[in-house]
Amino acid sequence: MKDREYMRDPDSSTSGTHIHEKTEDRADVRSVSRNEERTESRTEKGSGSRNRCMRAVLALTVFFIFLPVIVTMLWTVTGRWPWPSLLPESYTTRTLQELFSGSSSLHEILRGSVLIATIVALLGTVIAMMTARATEIYRIRGRQIISWSAMLPLIVPGTVFAMGIQVILIRMGLGDTVAGVILVHLVAALPYCVFIMTDITAAVGSNLEEQAQILGAGPVRSFFDVSVPQLLPGILSSASMAYIISYSQYFTTLLAGGGKVKTLALVMVPYIQSGDRALSSVYAVTFVGSALIVFFIFEALIHRIMRSEES
Amino acid sequence: MKKMKKLVAVLMAALMVFALAACGSQEKAEESTEPASLADMSWDEIVEQAKGTKVAFYGWGGDENRNNWLNGTVADYMKENYDIDFEYVGMDINDILSKLTSEKEAGEESGSIDMIWINGENFYTAKENGLLYGPFTDQLPNTEKYIDTEDPETLNDFCKPIEGFESPYAKAQMVMYNDSAVTPETPKNADELMEYAKANKGKVTYPALPDFTGSAFVRNLIYEKCGWEQFQDMEADKETVKKAIEPALEYLRELNPYLWNEGKTFPADSTALDKMFQDGEVVMNMSYGPFTVASGIADGTLPETCQTFVFDNGTIGNTNYMAIAFDAPNKAGALVAINAIISADLQLTQYSELRDLPVVDQDKLSDEEKEAFDSVDLGKGVLTQADLLEHRLPEMPADLVPVIEEIWEEEVVGK
Repeated sequence: MKDREYMRDPDSSTSGTHIHEKTEDRADVRSVSRNEERTESRTEKGSGSRNRCMRAVLALTVFFIFLPVIVTMLWTVTGRWPWPSLLPESYTTRTLQELFSGSSSLHEILRGSVLIATIVALLGTVIAMMTARATEIYRIRGRQIISWSAMLPLIVPGTVFAMGIQVILIRMGLGDTVAGVILVHLVAALPYCVFIMTDITAAVGSNLEEQAQILGAGPVRSFFDVSVPQLLPGILSSASMAYIISYSQYFTTLLAGGGKVKTLALVMVPYIQSGDRALSSVYAVTFVGSALIVFFIFEALIHRIMRSEES
Repeated sequence: MKKMKKLVAVLMAALMVFALAACGSQEKAEESTEPASLADMSWDEIVEQAKGTKVAFYGWGGDENRNNWLNGTVADYMKENYDIDFEYVGMDINDILSKLTSEKEAGEESGSIDMIWINGENFYTAKENGLLYGPFTDQLPNTEKYIDTEDPETLNDFCKPIEGFESPYAKAQMVMYNDSAVTPETPKNADELMEYAKANKGKVTYPALPDFTGSAFVRNLIYEKCGWEQFQDMEADKETVKKAIEPALEYLRELNPYLWNEGKTFPADSTALDKMFQDGEVVMNMSYGPFTVASGIADGTLPETCQTFVFDNGTIGNTNYMAIAFDAPNKAGALVAINAIISADLQLTQYSELRDLPVVDQDKLSDEEKEAFDSVDLGKGVLTQADLLEHRLPEMPADLVPVIEEIWEEEVVGK
């Protein structure tokens, strides 16, 4: 149990963007490593070539992830880069000037984006945690319907949802407000949060919590001191997932916020659509960079909490 | 993409039916009370009412130069002269219209959009659906002072009557360009274009319709082959249109084998073609912005040897406009802002900073103003304003455009 937690921890915390693939990957890695152990004990030669093969795959993966990132970075300061030149023909600082001193002030947009996404991450995870407990631990009646309906927002296309919800938001007096945008993002993020939290809540179960209660801990203490630390990897995944979903919402933000609520995606997408590669790149780098910084902060916070729990 | 949009539209329509059925009664009655009072006010009263308010101008946000001009030069001008906080919000016209539709449906009386950057089909639909406020152009002093009120482009937008519901903003015109270092020749008409494509086999193409630029380019070739006059009052009936443009369809099919990928496919949109041109994959590009080349050279995205050209018979030009939303929270402010933008002062900065054709009537300008316009350095590789206006043809009626796009998809692609 303890071992598995440690295995799960490092890769679930690197990034929350592709949880589904991640879990599959993880399963693969685990089965491969198990196979490896087996083969290793039999012949040294076979495992050597397998290792080399694995390393090549790894190197290729890294290459294919980092090459586009490097190219994007280069594009941020590129003037012209015609085929077949290996490097840009001319460089420019136009994009950086636009980013830092253009008409859309960067810090304001970043603040808006980070604030909205963080609130969505927080609310989404708390709601998902409660949903997961209700369906997995308390086994309330109709829990299958609840689990199923938590996934409903995935079925309706985002654009259609945005157009419909806009009318409702206006009637509620939430049109063009930050609160309205947060609500809409929350709907988009919740299915993923619930999915992640349900999984881990089922895995953790309630045995340890019950044990703590038998030993005299109250329900609040047993939840926060016993269950939450075990759930932390899931909480981190769920929060990261909700964060990145909110951070990258374009159409829903546009309609719910009416252009008044400004986020980074809102400023970035028109430039990508207009095909200005340099300007798109500079915003893309800002977008990814700022999201990564926030993830690092999330992780550092969680680690601090974990350490204080241990001591 | 188009299919996707259609799907979304159908779904939205279905949703609306439900929403309307659920709350049919409370919709009506909010129109026409407030606008009347504004229409009765004198200009001074309107300026007074607009003082200290905020105006939000919504439009396409993908041009960083325009964003900076609006949020910089124009915003400063508004603050200084009228004490108005002017803000430009980037939003696609489709999204703006769907937002307005939702607001209308929700019975919103005071939305968030004041002014809209609009033209053509979008204006036609918005006006038909009551999403615009007006008529207002006669109330603006600068309409009389600077705009040619008899100009067909002031009266009609894509051949549809404007009736005072939008005011000119800037003029655009179809141009073509290439790199003289790669291909020195500049085709002067459709036949020369054919020769050019043959000489540069596989390196010429145009954006797939219904892309805005690709669609305009094809309309331009239709004008080349069939003349432009007959389309001005043509009915948007598929058979009629098809019969009229048959020579052009013949020409386009003949052109196909010499195009990029032998005309089996076309670049998805003008942005894709822009990138292909910048990468050297094609030798010719086109734009609805007549001074695109100058901006490109200034930005460093195009080589200095680029040259702009138009057909001898002319290329299609259109005007884009500013309208006011039906539920604009600050209609007085919007009126003042629109009036300011069509003034010689701001049109001049638009011309010099953005290199967009001004909408002011040259004959109504004072000598000083005229001189200021003439002394603007347009940059490299472009045609002069006079050259462009001499070779300017009117747009087709808005409702013919989708019909031609449909026919092109059936009769030209891969044929």
